[in-house]
Amino acid sequence: MAKEVFYSGCAAAAYGAKDARVEVISSYPIRPYTGIMMELSKLVANGELDAEFVLGEGEHAQVSIAYGASAAGARAYTGSSGVGVVYAMECYSPAAGGRLPCQMAIADRALDPPGDFGSEHTDVMSARDQGWIMGWAESPQEVYDNTIMYYRIGEDHRVQLPQFCCQDGYFVSHIPGKMQMEDQKAVDDFLPPYNPPHPLNPKKPINHGPQIFPDQGSAINVQRAVAFDDIEAVISEVVTDYNKAFGRKYSPFVDEYMMDDADIAFFIQGGHARTARYAVNHLRKKGVKAGVSRLRFMRPFPTEAVAASLSKVKAVGVIETNTSYGGVTRGGNIAPEARAACYNLDNRPIITSFMAGLGGEIVTLNEFYAMAKVLSDAVKSGKANNSYWMNFEKEVLDTHK
Amino acid sequence: MSRFIIPKHLEVPLGACLPAPVKEQPGMITGNWRTERPVIDHEACTTCLNCFIYCPDACWHLDEKTEQMVWNADYCKGCMICVNECPANCLSTVNELEFPDGVVRLEKPF
Amino acid sequence: MAIEVKTQNLEMVKSLRQVPQEEHYVPGHRTCQGCGPALVYKLVSKATGGNAIFLGPTGCMYVANTSYLCAPFAYPWMHTQITNGGAVASGIEAAYQVLIRKGKYKGELPSIVVMAGDGGSIDIGLQAMSSMMYRGHDALFVMYDNESYANTGIQVSPATPYGANTTFTPPGKNVPEGRVLFPKDAPQLVIGGHPAVHYVATASVAYPVDLINKVRKGLNYKGPSFVHLHAPCPKGWLFPAQKTIEVAKLAIQTGMWVNYTWENGEYTYDHTPKEYKPVKEYMKGQYRFNHLSDAHYAKMQAFIDARLKAPGKPIAIPVLGPREQ
Ligand SMILES: Cc1ncc(C[n+]2csc(CCOP(=O)(O)OP(=O)(O)O)c2C)c(N)n1
Ligand code: SF4
Ligand code: SF4
Ligand code: SF4
Repeated sequence: MAKEVFYSGCAAAAYGAKDARVEVISSYPIRPYTGIMMELSKLVANGELDAEFVLGEGEHAQVSIAYGASAAGARAYTGSSGVGVVYAMECYSPAAGGRLPCQMAIADRALDPPGDFGSEHTDVMSARDQGWIMGWAESPQEVYDNTIMYYRIGEDHRVQLPQFCCQDGYFVSHIPGKMQMEDQKAVDDFLPPYNPPHPLNPKKPINHGPQIFPDQGSAINVQRAVAFDDIEAVISEVVTDYNKAFGRKYSPFVDEYMMDDADIAFFIQGGHARTARYAVNHLRKKGVKAGVSRLRFMRPFPTEAVAASLSKVKAVGVIETNTSYGGVTRGGNIAPEARAACYNLDNRPIITSFMAGLGGEIVTLNEFYAMAKVLSDAVKSGKANNSYWMNFEKEVLDTHK
Repeated sequence: MSRFIIPKHLEVPLGACLPAPVKEQPGMITGNWRTERPVIDHEACTTCLNCFIYCPDACWHLDEKTEQMVWNADYCKGCMICVNECPANCLSTVNELEFPDGVVRLEKPF
Repeated sequence: MAIEVKTQNLEMVKSLRQVPQEEHYVPGHRTCQGCGPALVYKLVSKATGGNAIFLGPTGCMYVANTSYLCAPFAYPWMHTQITNGGAVASGIEAAYQVLIRKGKYKGELPSIVVMAGDGGSIDIGLQAMSSMMYRGHDALFVMYDNESYANTGIQVSPATPYGANTTFTPPGKNVPEGRVLFPKDAPQLVIGGHPAVHYVATASVAYPVDLINKVRKGLNYKGPSFVHLHAPCPKGWLFPAQKTIEVAKLAIQTGMWVNYTWENGEYTYDHTPKEYKPVKEYMKGQYRFNHLSDAHYAKMQAFIDARLKAPGKPIAIPVLGPREQ
């Protein structure tokens, strides 16, 4: 029986993993994602989940254990936050290139220095080009749903890739929300057992990952490129099926709010989208035609869906929540991708980076209003800066007041 | 329809997972590394199995029917460990050029 | 109902005649002529009998074995990073525990073997190795010891002996001996500190029956075991390829290498010579030691003499660290 619960993002991830019947779990403590493992360790200890709970000695090992388990044919689950995510960096490419569809829950955390508990997406955004599927949930419900959907997407033989199932640290991971947990039988029907194409099995031995000729290196890369070409169709299928099975209303790639008649848009991923929608409600009352376009997948980056969505407006403010020091906008990593997605449009919107939500700072309504002002001015003048660091530049100073 | 065209010679199995070899790996012939080869005197051989156990390339085996040692010319690299470890002194080192099928040049680099 | 996880029981061999003729590490790999680690691979593979899964951390036994989309492993094998052999093995073992328990895999738990070089075992791979041993996974960690980072061009590793010329420790006016430090004691890193470990052994390619049996003993334990295997490397140590076994034997005769077993707290020693030869005899045959003076040989001899009082045990070694000299 489906049941309504009041869970944090961490609990939602843990129960999503449980309902996905994960078989090997590898843990290591770091806030804020730790809650996921605390919950799963209880489920395993109580016998509610039949899985091996392996105490990794670090995130590098966590990912290695997970992809090893996946290579053996088990459904594997791990997770991390902040410095832990980057500590495991070496292991991401072997998992993706080896086509081992384990899942890693991410509850974002700012990187050091100095020690900062806050949420920021820079941690896992640093791994965005390692061949993993990657996207953010904005609520515990979406965390739970994504956890289940990602396994089906990643384990699809057209895809066969590991997944970063991300949520904002604290804002999503630690704030409980009302959500629906689905009936186990229905989840089982939606998500069949993992059927690995090439497990390490002595009855049918394979040699996994021998060296290759240098010119075959590009062929291995092309395999992943093919998968990322095919994946959008798979995601659409899976999201549609999920919506049908469980009565959800996700659009596969970009969730829009009041975009159809909007002049300006906030382009955003993760939990701050909720504040953005409230800001839009208030802005609309003041006559500002604003909308929200929420990115559900960073990898694959849904080029066409993003172009279609952003082309509806004249100016787009990307709420980055990640840093790219010295990058093209001297801001974050999302605006350059959004700009590139719109490059071929006849009427490209102005696109700028808003550096907000860094180091765990919330993105306030006032900040959204300040951004809206910058965007409205840009619509009038026809130009905007490449990036604005919220509260540190004259156009966006002192928004807290 | 995929936009990718993958030329035959560049095909790589998914995730670089290959079927495991059986008995030998013909993709890596190493017999052409040799400049000398070990030659056995079956009369003097005591089938002590030293050559069998010590060859890093698994190039000596005991034929159970004939009770004779069999050498694998396709893979023997000519390290001469077997010659060095033969207690009966029944293995000798002979220059490859002495043999009609001797390895005289590298046809492929590997 | 959970299905019981059954494990293999491999029999000991008494002589070369009992060693199976079948090869699981098959001919057709690019290791150097006379490669000691390749011989280790062959012997360990034989020991498992083939119902095994091998993990190959980056190193010579990955790179030289698997060039160009072909590999010589007749059993399931997977490359791992040089850093994470122990961790990937842990994941595979954990997966098999669940898969067997749930009836998704039918059969005995395969032997899970990590084949790591000294770098992949006790330097960059140490954390993953130690944790696999600590957590008690039913797997065997093999450290094939060629006493260097060989694959990258023979650089010094923690297993490199004092006085060796490596490409990171060249002898020079200011550092006449080249390698200044004495090696880490690999088995001692495992013994004692890992409560789930009952079996640690050292063996040498010079004594293959002993090596096979030690691997089998390790595999038969329902838990982690560690074997440290001496594997001379003609390319790195600079001796003629046909002398691999000779060099390995001389190591034992001079006390440079000691074959022993640590099983549930008890030490037993194998192949102990009646009288040890001077280590200089061993070192003279390898060009990596060619630059050493008698004072250096004496320093090495003092180290070996001290260690031979209780091989594999934590005893004081009268060696001054580089900051104490
Ligand atoms: C993280 C990382 N650092 C460095 C390397 C480069 N590397 C490749 S092989 C190798 C040497 C491995 O040495 P060892 O484990 O002793 O095995 P051997 O080559 O001696 O057999 C190194 C350092 C690597 N592959 N990965
Ligand atoms: S080592 Fe010599 S005596 Fe022994 S089996 Fe080989 S050839 Fe015969
Ligand atoms: S020469 Fe070397 S490779 Fe050839 S059979 Fe003898 S030991 Fe094996
Ligand atoms: S360098 Fe040494 S360990 Fe590496 S393949 Fe050559 S002989 Fe073997």
